Amino acid sequence: MGTLENSRQILEGLKEAGINLVASVPDLNLKELIELLYKEKQITHVPVGREEEGIGVCTGAYLAGKRPALLMQNAGLMNSCNAITTTAHQFGIPILLLVYYAGDMGDDAFHMLGLLTEPVLSGLRVKYAVLRDPAKVRREIAAAVTSAHASKRPVALVLTRAVL
Amino acid sequence: MKRYECLQAIAPLMRDQLFVTTAGGATSEWNAVRPSDGNLQVKTLGLCSSIGLGMAIAMPHRKVFVFDGDGALWMNMGSLATIGLHQPKNLIHICWDNQQYESSGGEPTVSTAEKIDFAGVAKAAGIQSSRCVSTVEDLKEAVGHALGHDGPHFIWATIEAGRTNVPPLKYDELENKYRFMRHIEETEGVSILQVPVPHSYELKTDRH
Repeated sequence: MGTLENSRQILEGLKEAGINLVASVPDLNLKELIELLYKEKQITHVPVGREEEGIGVCTGAYLAGKRPALLMQNAGLMNSCNAITTTAHQFGIPILLLVYYAGDMGDDAFHMLGLLTEPVLSGLRVKYAVLRDPAKVRREIAAAVTSAHASKRPVALVLTRAVL
Repeated sequence: MKRYECLQAIAPLMRDQLFVTTAGGATSEWNAVRPSDGNLQVKTLGLCSSIGLGMAIAMPHRKVFVFDGDGALWMNMGSLATIGLHQPKNLIHICWDNQQYESSGGEPTVSTAEKIDFAGVAKAAGIQSSRCVSTVEDLKEAVGHALGHDGPHFIWATIEAGRTNVPPLKYDELENKYRFMRHIEETEGVSILQVPVPHSYELKTDRH
C-alpha cells in the first residue's frame, strides 16, 4: 500500500496540470490516491468497471472540454490496448494514463505483467516515463500533460511503489 | 420497423443534442437523416456507450444520445452497470437491435437467439427509465419522454436487419474530432482547443 503523503503529491500534481476528470479502476497500491479522489472537489472522479471503458469515458470528456486521466494497474493497460489504438490514437485524444507498475523489479507477484508493460507501451507508441522519485512527481505530471496536449496523444506515467 | 424510418421519425424531435454513434448503418443513416458537426462516429466496437457517458458527465446541461447496436452493446455490457452507477440525467442510450453483426457480415449476436432482454439488463443495472420498443410510434413516444425527463434513459429498439443505401460518413476520425470540438466551442461559447505556441514564437513585449 502507498503512503498518504505521496498520494497527496500526485493529486496536487494532477490539479496543477489542470486535470479535472479521472476515471479509475482500483489496485491495492492505489488505495490512498483513489480515496483522495473520492473526496476531491476539483476533480470529477468516474470509477469504471473495466479500463477500456475508462478510455471511452476520458475520450468523451475530452471532446466536451475536460482534461482527463485514467488511473489503473498495468493489467488494465493490457485491457485497454484496443481502445487506446482505435479510439485514443485514431481520434488523437490526450489522456494522461497513470499506470501502477505491478511486477516491477523486486515485486514478488505479476512478473509477466512487469516484463511486458514497457514493451506494450512502446508497441502502442505511447510516450511514457517511469516514476521512481517522489520529489519529482509533480514536475513529471506537468511535463506529461504538456506532452499529451501538445501531441494530442495519450501519454503514460508508470507509477512504481516508491512514488505511491 | 426499419432503422432508417425510425431515424427519420425521431430527427424532427431533435434540437442541439449531441450524438455518439456506433460505426455502420447507425452512423451512415443518421448522418444522412440529420447531418451535424455534433455527431461523433465511433469505430471501436462497444465503446460508444462509454464515450457518451464521459461526454454526458462532462456536460451535464446538454443531452447526449448514444446509438448503440446489439453486437456493440454485448461487447461492453458492463457500461450499462457503469451508467447505472453514475446516473447521468442527460444520457439517452438507444440500442438498435437487428440481431446481427451487420457491419461484420451478418453473423449472429447474443440477441439472435432471443434469450436476452437488454431493457431488463439495463433496468437491473440501475437505469430505471428503460423500455423496449418495436414500433415507430412507440419509439417516438419513448424518445419524446426521454427528452422531457431526467435520465439516464435506455431504449431497446428491435428493428429489421438491413441498411438503407446512403453514403458513408465523408470524413475520418481527426476531422470528426475537430468538427465536433469546434461545434461544442461555438454552441457553448467556450474555448477548448489550444494550439501550443513554441516559446520562440511568443512576442517579447518587454523588448524595446
